[in-house]
Amino acid sequence: MSTGAKEELRRTSGSGTDLWNVVQPPTIWAVHFLISYLAAAILCARADRTAPLDPVFWTVMTATAVALMLIALVVLRLWRVEKFSTVDEDLEFERNTPEERHRFLAHVSLMLSVLSAVGVLYVAMPVLLIDTCR
Amino acid sequence: MAAMSGDPQDDPELRRAQEKRLSEVWAQPQGWRYWTAVNNSEVGLWYTATSFGFMFFAGVLGLIIRAQLAVPDAGLVSAETYNQVFTLHGTAMMFLFAVPIFEAVAILLLPAILGARDLPFPRLSAFGYWCFLIGGLFVTGSIFFDAAPSGGWFMYPPLTTKYGGIGADIWLLGLSFIEVASIAAAVELIVGVLKCRPPGMHLNLTPLYGWYVLIVGGMILFAFPPLIAGDFLFEMERAFDWPFFDPTRGGDPLLWQHLFWIFGHPEVYIIFLPSIALLAMMVPTFAKRPVAGYSFIVLSAIGTGFLGFGLWVHHMYTTGLPAVSLGFFSAASEAVAIPTGIQIFVFIATLMLGRVERSVPMLWSMGALAIFVAGGLTGVMLAIAPFDFQAHDSYFVVAHLHYTLFGGMMFPLIAGIYYYYPIATGKMLSRRLGIWSFWLLFVGFNVTFLPMHLSGLLGMPRRVFTYPADIGLDGLNMLSSAGAAIAALGFLVFAWDVLRPKGEADAAERNPWNAGTVEWQLEMPPAPWGARSVPKIESRYPLWDDADHLRNYDEGRFYLPDAEEMQRETIVTSVLDAEPIQCLRVPGPAIVTIVAAFLLGAVFILATFELYAATIAAGIGALAAILYWTWTGTALHPEKPAKDIGLGVTVPLYLSGPRSTGWWAMFITMLGDLTAFVGLPFGYFFFWTIHENFPPADAAGPGWVWPLVAGLLLLGAWTATWSARLLNGRGRVAAMRLSLAIGMASASAGIAALAAGPWWHGMDPTAHVYPAIVWALVLWTSLHVAVGVIMQAYCLAGSVTGKLTPRYDMDMWNVSLYWHFMAFTVLVTVLVIGGFPLVA
Repeated sequence: MSTGAKEELRRTSGSGTDLWNVVQPPTIWAVHFLISYLAAAILCARADRTAPLDPVFWTVMTATAVALMLIALVVLRLWRVEKFSTVDEDLEFERNTPEERHRFLAHVSLMLSVLSAVGVLYVAMPVLLIDTCR
Repeated sequence: MAAMSGDPQDDPELRRAQEKRLSEVWAQPQGWRYWTAVNNSEVGLWYTATSFGFMFFAGVLGLIIRAQLAVPDAGLVSAETYNQVFTLHGTAMMFLFAVPIFEAVAILLLPAILGARDLPFPRLSAFGYWCFLIGGLFVTGSIFFDAAPSGGWFMYPPLTTKYGGIGADIWLLGLSFIEVASIAAAVELIVGVLKCRPPGMHLNLTPLYGWYVLIVGGMILFAFPPLIAGDFLFEMERAFDWPFFDPTRGGDPLLWQHLFWIFGHPEVYIIFLPSIALLAMMVPTFAKRPVAGYSFIVLSAIGTGFLGFGLWVHHMYTTGLPAVSLGFFSAASEAVAIPTGIQIFVFIATLMLGRVERSVPMLWSMGALAIFVAGGLTGVMLAIAPFDFQAHDSYFVVAHLHYTLFGGMMFPLIAGIYYYYPIATGKMLSRRLGIWSFWLLFVGFNVTFLPMHLSGLLGMPRRVFTYPADIGLDGLNMLSSAGAAIAALGFLVFAWDVLRPKGEADAAERNPWNAGTVEWQLEMPPAPWGARSVPKIESRYPLWDDADHLRNYDEGRFYLPDAEEMQRETIVTSVLDAEPIQCLRVPGPAIVTIVAAFLLGAVFILATFELYAATIAAGIGALAAILYWTWTGTALHPEKPAKDIGLGVTVPLYLSGPRSTGWWAMFITMLGDLTAFVGLPFGYFFFWTIHENFPPADAAGPGWVWPLVAGLLLLGAWTATWSARLLNGRGRVAAMRLSLAIGMASASAGIAALAAGPWWHGMDPTAHVYPAIVWALVLWTSLHVAVGVIMQAYCLAGSVTGKLTPRYDMDMWNVSLYWHFMAFTVLVTVLVIGGFPLVA
């Protein structure tokens, strides 16, 4: 493969973002949500209504810490992709090049990371306020 | 791309000959054969018209409700009829209008929006349409025989398992059948967006409608299957007395609520997003500028798509779940307001930055935003559990859901119909009638539903067929009913505008709204070929940015300007950057799709009446029709390996594996199928959580021996199928056939072994929910493996007859992909039924 062809391959498929990267942050949110919900549902289905939620509290807190860390890792990687930008600094992403597609998906993914982190924090809140299965 | 010297497209004679060939290839069939058409422009039009037909039917039911409730103690309909009327009103509006209209409009418009000739699987679209029509007529027709479902549109057991009549069966089987059509459409549309974008349309240049379709298609794959699993359990209970929802035998009615709402809440967004997508196409046109914040729309649509799955329990706040569970869902329900709000703000920003032109579509769009914001705000209120405790099952909820559906779906949709009518018919709708119908409907709608917030807060419950006088509800109900009459008038004006005969005066000129997106390159009236030539895309608004676009398009200077071989063709491109990778031959008119749909419809309809012998006969007929269809119409060998598609690009005519559309269709279908399957282990573990000992200590079977044997045999069948694909690829055809034969034998033995466990232990599925759920898992897996055996046989037959060769091996790739999913299904099934009792 010639250098030019290799370069072309890198541009169209290489280091950057594709659709799988974009769905990573919301998937982290979804897994965090499921863990939180299932932990509470399983504990409370077996226990009576006054049972303390401590195990659920710690599960949700651990899951929240892990989820936020994973989202941070995604953000870190996306930050590098955005730095590859060689074109204008607006947020329109309207050029027809593979790099611009990388930048665009990186921006979408970055913003989704913010939304997912907010979602994770929201979902963690109930265990701060509620301490039994009531 | 201006005319170069020596470009053959300079020759007008050649262009005329090309146009003649294209017209002939893409011509719609004449006479009665018109109904055998599969082209997206015909099927999409029928689909849209049929959905609207059901909408008007359901709307009349809504008017009956309002007439009955206009005055206290009214006797227009009996309580029993009223139950059928409101159940069918909700059911038809949701399942026969709101969801199918997305598929209908997308099938109609998506190829144009992507500048493609057609979607990759036209016959699948047609099949889906006929399924929808049959299932819809069956469900709606039931009310004329006093047999309609009457337990509310979400069919809660035990009311619906104990209640007599076949209404619930009609609901379950009729709608399961329509869900098949929905999933078929989702497969078609996802593959369409991912693989049929025109060359150059990188993901960041894809029209927002394409993004929304992709996201909604993905949501359908994860939302509809749990309902199919739920329908399966429910129908087993109704038909064979398997006690999934019966607490006296270990079942739990709440399981249905979970499965229903895991579908039901995402469905709200499945309805809402495609309609907002229409706004995303219209707003830039009338603001005369590109959409502001394209990537913000994409991110919020994806965000909504995910968060939409974390909300289902907010329909179940009053079922007695622990407060902490309600908290999780309440939090997610509040969070989803963020991405929803972003989309609204992007539209407002686009309008503020542009110079807005007044038009009928814009009027409807503005009405949509106003109504939707009101509905969204009451949604934020209802997401707060303590508020919902008060308002639950009251008319406040009725008001809320109608505000979201009218603002989030109905108004944008009508705006879209005014906007896109020329693309479907070549005519314009009337500006005067559009304004009249808008104001009638806008005023009528608000007069109907605004008072319902109040009547709900005053305590009027949903689904009551009447109410006593002098408890403060008379005036509000009368007002609502008067509003409904005005809204109905608005619908009639709209319907008249759409249906009235149109003459030359109504003819649309080309690109009548001066839009920038690629669908407006179409000739007016649109030509049968869909696209004169498939454009090379350089920007998001090619008609605004490229002055030569229309000339190049008309003169065939883009891709595929001809149909030399007299075949219907479209271009397949790569997922991310839309590099052309294949020239795909798409099939033409066919009767087999209609036959297959009718036979499959017969399976579901006959099963409703418990005519099982006839059901099985129809099932065999449907299978035969589908096999005939795939054998004669798919994976055909092209007459040459590659083709020049113009602009110096030559691409293959045949692809297999992950680059082909067929492989993606199989992958997406099986993803949906897997989601449905997951509903069954979910049920198993749901019962485990609610019971002190599950599996019950005294439960016999299925033991671990037979599940282990079954697992080994079935994983062996999977390995054999996979090997067959690899062997075939290396040209070792004899070994491949042997491997397939071993796979078939091993799979058949595996089915027997899987059933042997519960069978030899005498597990009676009607006795308790434990044997019932084990049998349900066995039944589901066995049926799927049986389909896998048919596929193996299909490949074996293909190899023997020369249809499947080492070069043309698409079927083998797809079947082996199916078996990868089978391996997972089998693994989960045997681990759950055989392994879990050992550790529980």
